[in-house]
Amino acid sequence: MTFRTRLLFIFTVAVVASVGLVEWLVSASTRERFERLETQRSDALVAQFRGEYERRGQEVARAVNGIAASDTVVNIAAATDYSSFYTDASSLAAAHSLDLLELVAADGSIISSAEWPARFGYKEDWITRRSDAASADWKTRGAFLRREELPDGVTLALEAVGIATAGDRVIYVAGGERLDRAFLSTLALPTGMRAMLYRNLQPQFTPSELIGGTDAAPLRPLIERVVREKREASGIVGAGAAAETVHALPLTGLDDNLLGVLLVASSRRELVEMEAFLLRLGIIFASAGILLGIVLAWWATARITRPVKRLAESARKVAAGNWSATVEIATKDEIGQLALAFNRMTHELVEQRERLVQSERVAAWRELARRLAHELKNPLFPLQITVENMRRAREQYPEQFDEVFREGASTLLAELANLKQIISRFSDFAKMPAPAMQQVQLNDLALETVKLFAPQLSQANIAVRTELDPHLRPIMADPEQLARVLRNLTLNAIDAMPHGGALTIRTMPHESGVRLEVADTGQGLTPEECERLFTPYYTTKTHGTGLGLAIVQSVVSDHHGRISVVSEPGKGSSFRIDLS
Amino acid sequence: MWLRYLAGSIAALMLARCAGAATRPRYGGILRVELHAPFESSDPPQSGPGMADLSHSFSMTVWEGGRRAVFAADENAAGGRPFLDSIEIQLARPLRDQALDLETGRADLVELGPNEIRRAPAGRKTWSSQPVRIVALVFSPHVEDARIREALALAVDRATIWSVLLQRQGEVSAALLPQWISGYAFVFPAAADLSRARSLAAGARPLTLGVTDPALRTIAERISLNARDAGIPLTIAAPGASADVQLTEARVSSSDAARSFAALCAAFGLSEPSHADTQEGLYAAERALLDEHRIIPLVHLPDVYGVSPRVKGGPGITPLGEWRFGDLWIEAPRP
Repeated sequence: MTFRTRLLFIFTVAVVASVGLVEWLVSASTRERFERLETQRSDALVAQFRGEYERRGQEVARAVNGIAASDTVVNIAAATDYSSFYTDASSLAAAHSLDLLELVAADGSIISSAEWPARFGYKEDWITRRSDAASADWKTRGAFLRREELPDGVTLALEAVGIATAGDRVIYVAGGERLDRAFLSTLALPTGMRAMLYRNLQPQFTPSELIGGTDAAPLRPLIERVVREKREASGIVGAGAAAETVHALPLTGLDDNLLGVLLVASSRRELVEMEAFLLRLGIIFASAGILLGIVLAWWATARITRPVKRLAESARKVAAGNWSATVEIATKDEIGQLALAFNRMTHELVEQRERLVQSERVAAWRELARRLAHELKNPLFPLQITVENMRRAREQYPEQFDEVFREGASTLLAELANLKQIISRFSDFAKMPAPAMQQVQLNDLALETVKLFAPQLSQANIAVRTELDPHLRPIMADPEQLARVLRNLTLNAIDAMPHGGALTIRTMPHESGVRLEVADTGQGLTPEECERLFTPYYTTKTHGTGLGLAIVQSVVSDHHGRISVVSEPGKGSSFRIDLS
Repeated sequence: MWLRYLAGSIAALMLARCAGAATRPRYGGILRVELHAPFESSDPPQSGPGMADLSHSFSMTVWEGGRRAVFAADENAAGGRPFLDSIEIQLARPLRDQALDLETGRADLVELGPNEIRRAPAGRKTWSSQPVRIVALVFSPHVEDARIREALALAVDRATIWSVLLQRQGEVSAALLPQWISGYAFVFPAAADLSRARSLAAGARPLTLGVTDPALRTIAERISLNARDAGIPLTIAAPGASADVQLTEARVSSSDAARSFAALCAAFGLSEPSHADTQEGLYAAERALLDEHRIIPLVHLPDVYGVSPRVKGGPGITPLGEWRFGDLWIEAPRP
């Protein structure tokens, strides 16, 4: 991963995290605010519903008292035989829009029942019993909830009781409205609100007792909680846009028995839609913010990494050998300072290298001069002695001059030939030819070299060991130059083992190419010697020009190969050549 | 003074003319009758009291089942042409509406139910037959437990049903044949015995009570309450559903006790009783039948009609409730 990619990733993560955090905070605070508003709205609606419920109770009480005060009922109260009035409750109830109406005699027996005409004569003891601590008296309550038995089952009713008197005769008028779907539908409720009634008339939760709702199952926990605790509760029922905030109000009867649970459901559709809208809006803005952030991060990372990239490019150039590479950065920040330091460093490196090259050149010239002087001095001295002998023989022994001249002339020719050879060797190094590449089997070259040097090795008491890989693949190389490399390395090994030893020549596959290894068991080399071993004209021997290994390195280099030496004083040396 | 005399003479003359018109039959006029039975068949009833009785003196000219029927006077009737020109009968008319129509003069002859009789104004002219309609509970053959059947018979409070729901119309009876026919109906005890009913009903399975006539619905509900008090879970079956017990009504078709007994048994779907020539034999047969408690007679009811004051020549029904409209006439409208 590049520095720029990493930087872009960090910036992107930072932007996404920041935008996400802001979005979450905004959404959470907005939702909390809307929830509070929704709660206030629901509370207001529930209060409104309570008012409506109480108003209906007052209407019922008013209607019942109106019936009790009517002439019809007063006449009934005045009658001595009630049997002829058993159907009157029905017409009275219909006239006053009541679902339930009973005319009850002073002894509690039913004179007439609108909801159950056949029940005349049966007792309604709850009307005539005296109030005590355990049961609330209907006289103290306007309208109240009551469980009413009907021919077709049980129902809940909002009832009131009135008293009709005719002289000293009294009858009671108990009437009310059934709390059923029709009752709920007549309640004036705001839009988005609905009322349901759970009639707690069975010992256990009975879904069919829910009026005004289609599915009782989601409401069951709330209803059971209210039934258990006998106090108000609220909760959210459903999910998504269909969710509702449901307030459950316990409805108790005269004996404080929980007869029903009124469920006022307020739709959360608007809230959910608002939240969804805010979420969508948030996602859009967050996406835009993140996109913008990424673009800005892209631009910023490009701006930040551009000088670093230039620095890296320049460093790569320096590594590749272009020491004159510099970085053009105009800023004065840390990157600018770094670029300045880099430029200064490359500048100093160039200067140092030039100084080094110059000093090495001087040293090389000195070495060359020293070597030339050394090499030339040896033949020059016999030349000088021979010429002086010839001159002395002509002056002092003319009769022997011819013989001396002859011997002197042959000596001079021999030494001149020696000088010529020395010069030729230097000349050869100076003009190394370009390799003529062809397919070469390295094993063959190794065997030829061993064969060439066999007498010499035998004479030097050196054992030869060849470890050649029979499956070694041929390589592209100049066979003449590689043979020369092998000869030079073999000669070096012979020189390194004046008292005999072992010479090992190995070939093996190495990485994608081949490896040639020439190892001796000679005296070995110090690390310093190893470092300078391939320097031209450097030699550890008392004879030689110091060009042998330099030529080897030059050939290997021309073949794009690599030569290295592994050596330890006293344990011999091993030259490794890797070719591809 | 002479003016007062003249006025008095004219008034006396007019009164004399009116009295003569009220008492003397006259031809012509339409008798407007209303019935609560719908008679939705394609043909008019051919037997039983009511429209079938008109065939002696009238011939049917219009029949709209469920709506109305029109009968015209038969010029060649055996007993001579009836006074009335025609009779228009409105069918499926609720009892309450019939009473209102009679009050407002839109009908001349209407049926009166118990509540209508109670509400009828004082002096209202009515025709009443003998108790000819027997209201009874009839058990389905699959209710085999005689103890449960007896328990229900003992649980029913006939007296309250009669005094309140029927407004003391007819008579309470635990016998099948009415007292006026058999003479021994009072021997069968009609009083409720709730404690004995409870002991007999111990462990009773739920029963259903069927009622076909909506007019009997309230009686059925009361019986259901009585049964519940005795520990018999008795619920009213939905219309059309089969029931364990049926609250139903049948008519006495003859004043002959033996024939009536046989006809009632057939009408209630009971097995044919053994033939009895004597009153003792008939009593034994009825006793044997009622001891099985397959049928629980409750009340015997008369046919009661409200009659407009302009209908003269009545009563137009026999003790068995048969229509005899041949001798009726309509009072001429006053000038």
